Amino acid sequence: MKKWQIIIGVFVMTSLAFTTFENTLFNYPAYFPLPEYKFDNNPLSHEKIELGRALFYDTILSEDNSTSCASCHSPYNAFAHTDHDLSHGIYDQIGTRNAPALFNLAWQNSFMWDGAVNHLDMQALAPITHPKEMNERIENVIQKLQNNPIYPPLFYEAFKDSVVTGEYVLKALSQFQLTLVSDNAKFDQVKRGEATFTEQELNGYALFKHHCNSCHTEPLFSNYEFANNGLPIDSTLNDYGKGAITNYAEDSLLFKVPSLRNLSYTLPYMHDGRFRKLGQVLNHYVEGIHQSPTLSEALKQPIVLNSNEKTDLIAFLLTLNDKSFAFKPEHQFPRDILLPSTGN
Amino acid sequence: MKQFLLALFLLNSFNLSAQDSQNLSVNFKPTFNGEPLVLTDDEADLSGKDIQIETFRFYISKVELLNGGEIVYEEPNSFHLLDVSNPLSLNLSLNFEFNAQNPITHLKFQIGIDSLTNVSGAFGGDLDPSNGMYWTWQSGYINFKLEGVAAECPARHNRFQFHIGGYQGPYKALQTVSLPVANIEEVNIQLRLEDFMGKINLEETYQVMSPNKISHELAILLPSMFSIVR
Repeated sequence: MKKWQIIIGVFVMTSLAFTTFENTLFNYPAYFPLPEYKFDNNPLSHEKIELGRALFYDTILSEDNSTSCASCHSPYNAFAHTDHDLSHGIYDQIGTRNAPALFNLAWQNSFMWDGAVNHLDMQALAPITHPKEMNERIENVIQKLQNNPIYPPLFYEAFKDSVVTGEYVLKALSQFQLTLVSDNAKFDQVKRGEATFTEQELNGYALFKHHCNSCHTEPLFSNYEFANNGLPIDSTLNDYGKGAITNYAEDSLLFKVPSLRNLSYTLPYMHDGRFRKLGQVLNHYVEGIHQSPTLSEALKQPIVLNSNEKTDLIAFLLTLNDKSFAFKPEHQFPRDILLPSTGN
Repeated sequence: MKQFLLALFLLNSFNLSAQDSQNLSVNFKPTFNGEPLVLTDDEADLSGKDIQIETFRFYISKVELLNGGEIVYEEPNSFHLLDVSNPLSLNLSLNFEFNAQNPITHLKFQIGIDSLTNVSGAFGGDLDPSNGMYWTWQSGYINFKLEGVAAECPARHNRFQFHIGGYQGPYKALQTVSLPVANIEEVNIQLRLEDFMGKINLEETYQVMSPNKISHELAILLPSMFSIVR
């Protein structure tokens, strides 16, 4: 490579990093990769993010005004649903999968445990229309929002158009969810030189890098690909994951690799919420791997961990909890929009 | 001012001598067994008829005008939702620069939405996912939607539903149509529904609503419906 190419490269990279830090609406640390989301097609604005936040927390999206996105994606649970193995929707119905945590979505380009949704903008259509989640038609949602006195002015502020459309609803929901960036766990503070690991955590970090990092790749703690992690099939669900979407045999039993950030808030674990404790998860990887043709290459060799090593590994995993993310005021219920009468 | 008028004059004379702005109206005319297609507007009633159509809508995209194999004009942002219940949607209007030395011989378009658009997030207008032409449980546009009732159809209330789409894997549904064009002011395209329905055994195939082998077989039948009306 010629010298001038290097100089231009360095210039471009520093200006990119600079843009990242300059943008007050979407920030992420320099050690994160570049986002997958194409912000040029949906440029962020404060008004659109706030509209998206109102929509995220509003039960108006459901058929009977009972269920919002936040019903199963609660901010205090890192936008997952603690204690529910399978998601719990409208009319007390129970779905077939564990509600995934919502954070660092800008780095993902396929959604749902089976990858059925190909873009963050389109994701909300699935829970809105699912008969066991919100059981509503997007056409009705648009009509209800148009007729609600709160929303046309918010759409006008956001899109300079008070006519509600599907595109605007979906883009606003994306904008709010894009701002859900989890980057302030103890791990991140250590990365930035603001904290140090204990000896036990350091030990756990070494074990993590050896046994886990190939799929749960730092700093996002997922490669956001699909893998069969050796869970025996639950015959009450018979869920084949990505295989049921693509109809390819090689995709059978593949599920999206979840991030290991915020594990203390997002239990239970796995696509069907079968494990309540991290210890159970580690025991699965050490002694519970079920052999099948699509088993991940990374799990074909046994993982050996003694009980001290398991404890150390869990100590490291707990440094990925981002408490400030779970309690960030900008992520909470927008009381001033949805409950204006309280005067708060 | 004089200079401006001179410039305008030069510009006009240049335009006249070389190229003309031309408007081509492309009209889609759905027919069924030789008659203009009429949708049933209330509860489907089979009395006296073997088959009735309730919903007929589809996407036309990437509209191009060609001289032989050479592209003369590509319509920008070319995505159209044609809905038989909305007659205005069946007429497209193309504005292009006509040059007699580069005549138009063919009109080409796709039935459906390309894979790049399918994976690029939310759009408005005809592509708005609230138009009833987008799958919610698995991302992707429905390229072609045909619903109705038929006496021979064994489904509940004799209903058949064809939602044809899919942008990836072995069952891509996107189809291309190329038709000869003789007139650069008006092109009338007949859509003979019997050329599609006549090839389907409604006793066996009546509910296709996801990208799979059968939907792919049906997608391949779509271009044969389109022909130029002389």
